[in-house]
Amino acid sequence: MSQYKIIFAGPVGAGKTTAIHSISDVPPVKTDATASDMAKDRKSATTVAMDYGIMNLPGGEKLHLYGTPGQERFNFMWDILTEGGIGLILLLDNTRADPFLDMKFFLDSFSQFISKTTVAIGVTQMDLSDKPTIADYQIKLKEIGLNRPVFAVDARVKNDISILVQSLLYSLDPVMEE
Amino acid sequence: MLAMYLLGPCKSAGVVIVDGSDAEVDIIDIDLPDGKVILEKKQVTESNTPSIILSLTKINSITSGANFYIKKPITQEAMLNALTTAKDHILKNSNKTKSRPETEPSLLDEPLLAPIVQDVVSEPAKPPSLKHYVADINDRDKTSKHRTAMQMDEKGFAAYMGIMESLDITNAAQLKQAHYNPRDYFQGYLQSALKVASARNQIVQLNSGWKPLLIFPHNHEIWLNADDKQLRAFAGIIINKGGDSHKNMSLTPLDSNSAATYDLDKFQSMEVLVWKLACWTSKGRYPQQIDIDSPVFLKHWPNFTRLLITPHAMRIAALLADKPRTAASIALALKIKPEYVFIFISAAFAIGLLSQVAKNTDIAAAPQEIKPDKKHSLFSRIISKLRANNE
Repeated sequence: MSQYKIIFAGPVGAGKTTAIHSISDVPPVKTDATASDMAKDRKSATTVAMDYGIMNLPGGEKLHLYGTPGQERFNFMWDILTEGGIGLILLLDNTRADPFLDMKFFLDSFSQFISKTTVAIGVTQMDLSDKPTIADYQIKLKEIGLNRPVFAVDARVKNDISILVQSLLYSLDPVMEE
Repeated sequence: MLAMYLLGPCKSAGVVIVDGSDAEVDIIDIDLPDGKVILEKKQVTESNTPSIILSLTKINSITSGANFYIKKPITQEAMLNALTTAKDHILKNSNKTKSRPETEPSLLDEPLLAPIVQDVVSEPAKPPSLKHYVADINDRDKTSKHRTAMQMDEKGFAAYMGIMESLDITNAAQLKQAHYNPRDYFQGYLQSALKVASARNQIVQLNSGWKPLLIFPHNHEIWLNADDKQLRAFAGIIINKGGDSHKNMSLTPLDSNSAATYDLDKFQSMEVLVWKLACWTSKGRYPQQIDIDSPVFLKHWPNFTRLLITPHAMRIAALLADKPRTAASIALALKIKPEYVFIFISAAFAIGLLSQVAKNTDIAAAPQEIKPDKKHSLFSRIISKLRANNE
């Protein structure tokens, strides 16, 4: 039986672990450790290897949900994790100093994977920092020739993450029936 | 971060961070890339607003008039002193403050049907600020504003909307007739009022003889004392055709403290309200400003997690984000009823996301038939699972 996966990426604290938890059918496997570097300013524990969750699909297949660690020093893992992936969910934290820089960094880092699949972007913490707006992100994306879904999301809310993942799938296959 | 600092260590001495035009005190960090440019612009415009200037190095020339300098690292005491001095300066100069317009603009004097424009590029007068922290701690209690989207399938939508005219995709004449004019409905008046409020940068109340509706252009919010069911019913009433209903429509300017006295759970974002109002006014028709035979395109994806998701809306968005298409070709490619395409077009057009390709533009015709992805079946099962989880 084939194995399918969706990758969740983004900077430290953007909500990758929470997002996977929102839609996983099993308690997600977390590999958190006490933050000891710049991540400690943002949260007490951070993901040092990866997060992992599963969605059990009708027919017995499984969709694997992988969250990449946010720190750049683990970027050697990103190529391995994305192999065979359906697409990328990129989560950005709107309270970080320069979320555009984060977006550019991750789009560049995953550019090969995105060119073969696609990406949908969720912006978290918009209730704490309302700028940049979603329109601002779209302007930046347009500058690099992309027109992809960018939504405000609360990673704790299952419906928000569900809609984000659906947009990823419809981007790949709009004719898929509802 | 600054907002938290003002609320926390400074014990709310500086209370609310607002857009530049409303600020009583500007705090400018001239060590940031745009800091000096912002300061120079302010000096050129001879603004009377006092500034607290933060820098690592002492600059004597700016510690004069209405400028107050704080050397980094910033101490709580230095910030409180600067805020107190700035406050004294404001009180001394209070007689110089601008008087507010006292006239009540007539709504019908204003052009109707201006889509909301929120792009940063549309506000050249203000220096572009990358960050805006919500210092108003009440923002989190504006529950309607942050509420997740309602996603509807055809069956649920039909029950929700009531009777919609059923259209035949093969009947071109019928499709051509399936239009409406938003100016005849509350939608047109609201869009016109939004345009007035934004152009004048003024909080206004839209009086309609129905429920009071307040527009806050600075933070793109609307306060409405009505639930969705009530608004949906009002959306379908023709106002501007014969009769005297439109004479009840007017705008009243309000002062900037108005927001403080209203229930927080009745605030909504402009985009969310206009989107759903357009869906309910459309009822399966398209706005007559659209040439239904010309292709339309999506400037960017709608923020679907906060908008009413009508049947097939995400599929339509995915197609239109890729290439311009006519409404009929979308309905044929997706094998859906044209009324669902028209509802999407109405809503996206109302919030300024949808445009039309000029007739003489040479664009490659989008293929009518779209091949499904190789993982089509897998994707369908994932979508089914996601939607089942939300029910």
